[in-house]
Amino acid sequence: MKPSAIMMRCILILTVSAMLTGCWDRKEIDELALVMASGIDMTDDDQIELTLQIALPTGMPGLLQGSAKGKPVMAISVKGSNAHELIGQLQQRLSRKIFFGHRGIVIIGESFARHGIDQVLDTLLRFPESRYNSYILTTQGASAKEILQLPYHMELIPAIGMKTMQAAKYSTATKIDEFLNSVSTHEIQPYTAAIRRTKMQEGESGFEIDQTAVYLDNKLVGYLSGKHLKAFRMMHDQAKRLKLAIKIEPEKKFTKGTLTVDILHFEKNIRTFVDAGGSLQAEVSVRANSRVSANDTTLNLSKTADLTRAESALSQELHDMIAGMISQTQDEFKSDVVGFGKALHTQHPEEWKKLKSGPWLEAYPKMSVRVNAELRIVRVGRTQESGHLLEER
Amino acid sequence: MKITGLQLFWMILIMEVGMTLVMTLTPGVQAAGQDLWISILIAGCIAMLIAWIVTNAAHLHPGQDLIRLSQTILGSVFGKIVVVVYLVQWYTIIPIVLRQFTDVINIMIMPETPKLAVMIVMVLLISYAAYYGGIVSIARCSEMLGPIVVLMIVLVLLTSLNNVDVRNLLPVFVDNGAQAILKGALPSASYLGHCVEYLMLAAFLYQPEKGKPYVYWAVGGATFLVLVAMTMTLTTISVHMSPRLWYPFFEMTRKISLFGFIENLDPLTIITWVASVFIKLAVYLFIAAYGTAELLGIKNWRNLVLWIAPVIVAFALLPKNVTQATSNYLLNYWVPVAMPVNMIGLPLLLLVVGKIRQRRNGAGSS
Repeated sequence: MKPSAIMMRCILILTVSAMLTGCWDRKEIDELALVMASGIDMTDDDQIELTLQIALPTGMPGLLQGSAKGKPVMAISVKGSNAHELIGQLQQRLSRKIFFGHRGIVIIGESFARHGIDQVLDTLLRFPESRYNSYILTTQGASAKEILQLPYHMELIPAIGMKTMQAAKYSTATKIDEFLNSVSTHEIQPYTAAIRRTKMQEGESGFEIDQTAVYLDNKLVGYLSGKHLKAFRMMHDQAKRLKLAIKIEPEKKFTKGTLTVDILHFEKNIRTFVDAGGSLQAEVSVRANSRVSANDTTLNLSKTADLTRAESALSQELHDMIAGMISQTQDEFKSDVVGFGKALHTQHPEEWKKLKSGPWLEAYPKMSVRVNAELRIVRVGRTQESGHLLEER
Repeated sequence: MKITGLQLFWMILIMEVGMTLVMTLTPGVQAAGQDLWISILIAGCIAMLIAWIVTNAAHLHPGQDLIRLSQTILGSVFGKIVVVVYLVQWYTIIPIVLRQFTDVINIMIMPETPKLAVMIVMVLLISYAAYYGGIVSIARCSEMLGPIVVLMIVLVLLTSLNNVDVRNLLPVFVDNGAQAILKGALPSASYLGHCVEYLMLAAFLYQPEKGKPYVYWAVGGATFLVLVAMTMTLTTISVHMSPRLWYPFFEMTRKISLFGFIENLDPLTIITWVASVFIKLAVYLFIAAYGTAELLGIKNWRNLVLWIAPVIVAFALLPKNVTQATSNYLLNYWVPVAMPVNMIGLPLLLLVVGKIRQRRNGAGSS
């Protein structure tokens, strides 16, 4: 090969590789404003308020440096009428380019959620850098702005704390794509975890994620909490390690009469029926295996009679929880967050064609639901009787 | 210029897998919903049929490529008309694929980069491959890239396993019905039907008469990969979201999250995509240049590569947006015209006429 030909090839290869670096889309880390969480609220005068929690790498204490020079995060917000324009407005205040690639949390303010969330959804989807792996949360009793401004000492960046709590599934957790998916169908109604302010320690407030926000189509209709939330989580395959405590007998001298079990295994089965007249019924059967984690009663679980008694009481409790939760969603929320629509769709596809566009929303609150619950104790722990009881013999 | 059967296998496999997966998933789901997997099975059967027709037609006169073959069988005038029909297909698909490639890169990873820059890089690359080595260098590239592409897809599928929810496939059949499922099969079938290029490529094989099994395996392998990958995409991002996204397969990769630190694997799919597009474009550029040269009696086909390359860039810039480039071409030309005519009709015509003539010649001589 001639030297000139070799030269030509070298130049060609160099040009090509120079273009491959993607210069136009390069993003230097020190030119980016890394958005860790974003929140959206509706103000009293019907405007939208967007809040971004932005990480400031210079504020982070290095390993050797010891202490931080400043706060590692900042929360900024802006008001306006169009969610997308707001990002542009915020950008005008920031010297670094707003970057959504690391956003792990999206918070919807309660006021905004009750009003309808259509505007946000498109913003969530269209950016190439937005990740579907972000979690979506709804605030309760506070605005998203307030939540994002709260300090949180366990993590440098509060949004990372929220993300970790969601990832660990201490409560319900909904990712953006799951949420968008449930908004786009009537098979199941959307839900997200609910975040609210709480007291952490003396004079300091933090946040708590302990309830679940229930939506109907695109509007927030209420919150599930307590026992009903527990039942809801069981129905959404998060039963593992949930505790169930019941009072079996009245308080006695040494015992309070409560028995606590951990759920080890849980299975649910939803069957739907359509009558000739078109009326809908559903039957929910759940079976759970559990382990006794605390026995504060006089029952001796090594005895069959006592064990059966405990099991039937627990089964009854499980039944009441689930039935109560379902009737709350039917009567109070009128929202099918449990997903009966999905069962109906798979079991009666022809019927579903008539229901899916809208009649299902009307039909769900009227549907009669039967619940069968069976809970078994498969392990009783290391002690037979309650350990601290005096020998009565 | 000679290639081996294995190289042919990888060439067809890569061409089909990457493009089918990325470009036809959305139109497929829009038509067939959760029953897309049935559609893909049907599409695979159609592609197999095409492979059968094409290989048998090509083997009537081993060693002849499409341009000579059609003239041998149909005579000089009709043969040339047939070749022109194919040239239309080849010349239109190159700019369209180039444009689709650029759109994917623009939409998914580099929104700010000018289209022209992405296109020029790709065109330089394919022209280099087609100009210097011709089909041999393209074949060697596919032999090397092929296993990588398959590995990437398998890796993506394995890491997505924990996101799968099979209930998304229920209920089977009832929601969509036979007609919708058939309709959903067409886009994929038209992309899996790319083995029609075997008519051109067979002549370059060391042993042209032994190419059949490689084509069948390539089509079968591509169909299988596409079937698994598309079904998994549907079960991870559900039937309600997939039809609304441009490239659901990429979105599935974005959902991957393992052990809290294996995340954002979309570069893997981008590799698959770039490799697939590169091979496809290079093969088409080569056969377009080579075919034109042969038809017009031009001695040096290499010069044609240099002429075609800038033209395709210009044409690739023509479509106004993604819809025009992707949906309109696919649904208005590729499925209703290219598939029935170029992939099934003409090869079948060649096969039937060729068989009749052979029999007549055989009867005449004996």
